[in-house]
Amino acid sequence: MNGPSNSDPRIDQAVVTDDAVVVAHEKLLGKQPDEKARYRLLPLNLLFIFSGLIFFGATYLGRYAGYFDPKVFDETAPKATAAAAAPEDPIEKGKKVYATVCAACHQANGMGLPGAFPPLVESEWVVGSEERLIRIALHGLQGPVKVKGADFNSMMPAAGRVAGSGFNLSDDRIAAVLTYVRQEWGNKAGPITTEKVAEIHGKEGDHKPWTAAELEKLP
Amino acid sequence: MIIAPTNAVSAEVSPVDVHARGALLLLLASSLGWLVLSGILALIAAIQLHSPAFLQDLPWLTHGRAEALRETAFIYGWAANAGLGIGLWLVGRLGGNLLRALNWTVTGTVFWNLGVLAGLVGIALGDMTSLPMLQLPRYVQPLLVVAYAAIALSGVLAWSGRRVDSTYASQWYVVAALFLFPWLLTAGQMVMLWAPMRGTLQAIAAAWYAQGIWSFWLAPLALAGAYYIVPKVTGRLLPSYEFAPLAFWVLLMAGGWTAGRALVGGPVPAWISTVAIVAGMLVLFHHMVLGLNLRVVLGGTGNALSFIRFGLAAYILSGVLNAIVSFRVVAERLHFTFAGSALDQLAYQGAISTLFFGSIYYMLPRLTGRTWSSGALIVGHRVLFIAGVVGAVVSLTVAGWLQGGYLLDGKTPVADILGNIRGPLLIATASQLVMLAANLLLVVNFFQSVCPCRTADASSPGPFRQPSAVEATAT
Ligand code: HEC
Repeated sequence: MNGPSNSDPRIDQAVVTDDAVVVAHEKLLGKQPDEKARYRLLPLNLLFIFSGLIFFGATYLGRYAGYFDPKVFDETAPKATAAAAAPEDPIEKGKKVYATVCAACHQANGMGLPGAFPPLVESEWVVGSEERLIRIALHGLQGPVKVKGADFNSMMPAAGRVAGSGFNLSDDRIAAVLTYVRQEWGNKAGPITTEKVAEIHGKEGDHKPWTAAELEKLP
Repeated sequence: MIIAPTNAVSAEVSPVDVHARGALLLLLASSLGWLVLSGILALIAAIQLHSPAFLQDLPWLTHGRAEALRETAFIYGWAANAGLGIGLWLVGRLGGNLLRALNWTVTGTVFWNLGVLAGLVGIALGDMTSLPMLQLPRYVQPLLVVAYAAIALSGVLAWSGRRVDSTYASQWYVVAALFLFPWLLTAGQMVMLWAPMRGTLQAIAAAWYAQGIWSFWLAPLALAGAYYIVPKVTGRLLPSYEFAPLAFWVLLMAGGWTAGRALVGGPVPAWISTVAIVAGMLVLFHHMVLGLNLRVVLGGTGNALSFIRFGLAAYILSGVLNAIVSFRVVAERLHFTFAGSALDQLAYQGAISTLFFGSIYYMLPRLTGRTWSSGALIVGHRVLFIAGVVGAVVSLTVAGWLQGGYLLDGKTPVADILGNIRGPLLIATASQLVMLAANLLLVVNFFQSVCPCRTADASSPGPFRQPSAVEATAT
């Protein structure tokens, strides 16, 4: 396309005017009558592909959208998850809750991700005060926080059955997962009881996510 | 098919260009300043990944802040200025009338850049919001909204006052970007900073905003340039152009919904991620039509087209990869790893930056009425930059894949993981250095080209060939 003689590598020459570009393409859209009436049929294969994508999308949504239920977090969950289970070992139960809820951020090995998610291993927040730990799990945590000497400044969503929570964990599941993290990965701290969680839940209600400063005022 | 010559009056040297020269050169020059700054910050952030002690004593350059500064300088500095400059020029040219309200554009540009600068200082002092793609501290954001409106005004006027009723794909994309970004920015600020929503909703809003920067703003601006330059330089009709409107609407309608894929496996209801996966597949239709439309780029030559060719390939590839990566099986391995950074490099450097470069190389001679000062620098920029992008994408993909494996088996402590992938991370750093060097070539060439000190070329009748004359010689 480039003219042979005066092609200068320091500039890109245009071979058509702006108007020509606009007019010629507008004709393709079929909005302006073309003298020769040369409309082209929309290529069928493209339409076919588009319909195929829509069909795929609809099927996939039907199968994996969790019935558009804001409380369904596992896309493969069957519709009625009612079946009341027999009482479980709290550690086993806590491990399951950890894997489905917390591991996404704090990682399966509890180490978190530097700069983004603080570690739970040997964290003073985990093995320290029950009062603070339970509040973090119930209502979430936001703003600057120091964990094992490293600074984090982010936001952890509420996990308990409180307003605005994405997880709605019952008090006994909160107790189970906290008990689990307090004895896993070499952490050595006592279990958290459902009663204690229920007590704090009752006292604080739908508190908004805590800040480290607020928590540090607690015992 | 070749575009038929018309007896239209608009010649290649358009009065639009001369009239808008000052305002548009200001936008381009500012964008290049930010480009270099963000390149330096990217280098620092990359070094800190394998050598954490680097610049550790400077509190305003810890890894988190360097990364936030880099992202902000890139998006709101480089991409915003360059994209707006290109966009305004396109709607001006295609609209056929002189751009109006250019003094608003100039004022807006000055304040926009002051706002971004203040924002960067704020981030360095620790005031970042921690929201991806919106790290700018809350206090500079209202200023940015107003400044943006002032810049965009002349584009809107050029669109509504266009000389002909017919419109072209480049115009749709530019106008969509001009209108959608202010909406995105104000809505995003509202729900995340001024009246924050809680918990999960916050995470969803943040993902939507970050995706919107791509789907509603930067991608449309980058594509607008490609849609314009490809037929101009090749003289060919775009094949399957009938589908261009559908592709445009698919991007706008489905693009925002793909946001939820950033949250796969995260603390959000399952349907959000599922809808995002489906939307990601639908958007593939946009990529496919784009590929069909612009495939004539393969037959063309020249600086602009060489950049655009690589940029489009990266754009399409990143769409496909994003769709694949969002599926839960893959996401589980790659989530929160360097693979995410690899995709970002492919999308923002490989696609957006490269497409912008292509447009700038085409546009500048029109604005100045002179050629670029050096052809060798253009080639050098292209070769180095593309090498840098490929290096960064490949090395980070390898790093991410290994890292994902370690994280899943959960046996290796995080510190050891970073040690094990040191090799790829070093290559990523080298790639950032190469990209920075490449961009410096552009900057040198740019300022040499616009410098009034430059002596006029010997070629007397001006650098442009008349399009119609070329038509005659080509056949
Ligand atoms: C969406 C990601 C996410 C999820 C899910 C999550 N956390 Fe967190 N968590 C965070 C972030 C981010 C912080 C730091 C918050 C800040 O900077 O203020 C944090 C902080 C903490 C802390 C205090 C700091 C530390 O490391 O000791 C504890 C304890 C904690 N989380 C426990 C849990 C438990 C238990 C669960 C599961 C019920 C959980 N988190 C689920 C993101 C998450």
